[in-house]
Amino acid sequence: MQEENLIIYEEQIEKIDRALIKLIKGAEAKCALLVDKDGHLITRQGFTHSLDTTALAALLAGSFASTREIARLVGEPEFSVLFHQGKRDHIHISLVGERSILVVIFDDRTTIGMVRLYAKECGDELVMVLGQTTREKKKEEKTIDSDFAASAEERLNDIFKEES
Amino acid sequence: MVSINYAFREICCKIVYYGPGLSGKTTNLIYIHKKAPPQTRGELISLATDADRTLYFDFLPLDIGQVQGFTTKFQLYTVPGQIYYNATRKLVLRGVDGLIFVADSQEAKLEENIESMHNLVENLNEYGYDLKELPMIVQYNKRDLEGISSIEELERILNPRKLPYFEAVAFKGIGVFDTLKSISNKVLDKARSKSEPEKKDKKELVSAVAQQHITTPAFARAEEIEIKSPQGSIPVMDNDKDVEEKVHYGSGLKDDAGKTQVSNEIREKEKEISVEPVKPKEILEKKEELGDQEKIKGQNLIRNQEEILKDMLKIKKTMDEMALNQLPVKIHREKIAFSPEEKVMVSPMLKQKKTKPVRIGFLRKWFEKITGRR
Repeated sequence: MQEENLIIYEEQIEKIDRALIKLIKGAEAKCALLVDKDGHLITRQGFTHSLDTTALAALLAGSFASTREIARLVGEPEFSVLFHQGKRDHIHISLVGERSILVVIFDDRTTIGMVRLYAKECGDELVMVLGQTTREKKKEEKTIDSDFAASAEERLNDIFKEES
Repeated sequence: MVSINYAFREICCKIVYYGPGLSGKTTNLIYIHKKAPPQTRGELISLATDADRTLYFDFLPLDIGQVQGFTTKFQLYTVPGQIYYNATRKLVLRGVDGLIFVADSQEAKLEENIESMHNLVENLNEYGYDLKELPMIVQYNKRDLEGISSIEELERILNPRKLPYFEAVAFKGIGVFDTLKSISNKVLDKARSKSEPEKKDKKELVSAVAQQHITTPAFARAEEIEIKSPQGSIPVMDNDKDVEEKVHYGSGLKDDAGKTQVSNEIREKEKEISVEPVKPKEILEKKEELGDQEKIKGQNLIRNQEEILKDMLKIKKTMDEMALNQLPVKIHREKIAFSPEEKVMVSPMLKQKKTKPVRIGFLRKWFEKITGRR
């Protein structure tokens, strides 16, 4: 059986964003992203305008997935923290709960130790927020209508009109 | 699974092109990238070897814009086709929402197609995905070449489940968009039907859904099992939340009456749907009694857990406050001071340490030893 759909609500995003901002300020990082393990971007904070976050999310998830497989091969359940060091910017990737990855991009204004410290704290907070998915009620949310797929197909038809 | 983000009003689906090596999966993506309007497509990312063979995956985000108030995005992935790369191929399948199997129509490649199909089933099984539940389309590529198998033969061998199929010549773009449209339709249909009530109360609906799966396609299924609340029809997500909250977090105090009514109605529906004869009443009643007892036990347990969790949260909060007031973090930060002259992080502790002459002596000795000079 497949896992259930990942559904994120507005209050959750607010809480997540707040946690991310706290992390960025505390650790003096450049930006922080929360990415689903399948490569979907959940939310982002900080200086992300110059980044192609969609591609970044997909690649990071891929990289994390392959690291996990490496871990399995050497007999570890999971490498929960990953760190890429560059000349200017560095990336700290850590696992949050079961399904998401916290990515922090930072430069030499801060240290890896600070990032680790705050990322750990932020991760714990995010686990709680994400755990609330099923608990929180959402009354007025518009759900996907029955003809959603048909509308989407129409839209696709519009986009690729001249092609097919 | 489909990701639905209510905050950004976004729906995101992962579609994977699967198939044997050199069957044209990446070509499909390249064509879509070439022809899609710039505002809809992102960058095509290809993790390939020097010889342009896919090593890990190709990735193309496609944003088709607003559909009923939701920004709808597709993330198209391809897998590496070569047998050798099964480890990375499997990873790409994680969280897949829809599959396109790109088969090579050439007669000589038939064997490879079959092998790839087997490999797909194997990999999906390892993730615990059910191939029957996963939206899938078959694309017979390279129809313009000579020495190709007939569609009938390919269908018979590769597609015994009679999935929708398309003939394609990927590099010319023939059939590429038809395949994409068809899979997107299937995926979104599935996403919607999954967020319908049928998944809400799993225990009660498992059998009904299972029966339905055999005969009815997804779109027909969802309509039949619509649950009415006491107030009439309620939106899908509410229902989900209500029921789940009760089951998992034991706040059954709020409106138990409503819940039992809902589950009763589900049971009635289940009876209506089930084709097989309904079990004797006594057994059903017994089962219900047992079920209730279990539920109450579970609720108590969860309630206790919740209290513990609350206490822990309180403790954590006070600890956080203490941490903020008592400045252990600040002290730590002062220790590591930034020294502008040296452009490196220097901790005062390190600064105080004097360089040991012994070490230099050792180095000199070592240098003499290996160079033979004094």
